[in-house]
Amino acid sequence: MKGPLVPSEILSSEMGLVFAVIAGILFGFFLERAGFGSPKKLTAIFYFQDFAVLRVMFTAVVVAMIGLLFLGGIGQIDLGSLAIPPTYLWPQALGGLLIGLGFVVGGY
Amino acid sequence: MMSESPAREEQAYWSPYLAGVGLGLTLLLTFYVMGHGLGASGAFTQWTANLLYWVAPGHAQANTYLSAYLKVGSFWQSWIVLEIFGVLLGGFLGAVTARRFRFQIEQGARISRRGRLLLALLGGVAVGFGARLAQGCTSGQALSGGAVLAVGSWLFTLMFFAGGYILASLVRREWQ
Repeated sequence: MKGPLVPSEILSSEMGLVFAVIAGILFGFFLERAGFGSPKKLTAIFYFQDFAVLRVMFTAVVVAMIGLLFLGGIGQIDLGSLAIPPTYLWPQALGGLLIGLGFVVGGY
Repeated sequence: MMSESPAREEQAYWSPYLAGVGLGLTLLLTFYVMGHGLGASGAFTQWTANLLYWVAPGHAQANTYLSAYLKVGSFWQSWIVLEIFGVLLGGFLGAVTARRFRFQIEQGARISRRGRLLLALLGGVAVGFGARLAQGCTSGQALSGGAVLAVGSWLFTLMFFAGGYILASLVRREWQ
């Protein structure tokens, strides 16, 4: 089956909503196992004590990226129909900065 | 070998690389099924739009930003809202099965409970505003946008870490 499944109507959008819960459960489970339920652990990167945040995020990004390239290469996903966040440099820079400031203050 | 099994002992966190692979495969699967990645902050915007519509429908529809969210329909037809319910459930299951589920407010010893909660509120306001400005948070931009090499998402990620390091020394007492 060539993905993405829901946009190409191989799966219905109702099934997509069921999948939302499943994806969320997996997302939450792995974040918890990584220790991201703990604000002390999340903020420890900013005190040069524990780089789990960077390691987990970067590993996930690289795994997903290689997986997408692989699936695209063997023709199992149409890379052209993936949603890519549009580029708005200033809002994204300022938004990222604000989230970083808020993250170390709020703990999440 | 210990003679008594430490039944109540909390499991250690996974290696960040193992957890990262699990997270990356979840993200990959989401792209394969949905054509988009994972998110988080958008669920709060959806709730805001639906709640505002419930209280003041005319006002919600007149708001250009929020009215786009009203086209989704109810809470239960919103992909990201359902995903976030899943996240709560998954996090809960993870904590319970690792025997570390407990009610607590984590903080350093040198800050009052009130101070910690006040800072949590302030931080939350900054994160919420920043996430709307950037059209996403660490999930939608850094993780999902990062995996498809979106230029703005990588700029977002760099600025996110910069922001954390800028304020870290000022709030050291809150965590250490």
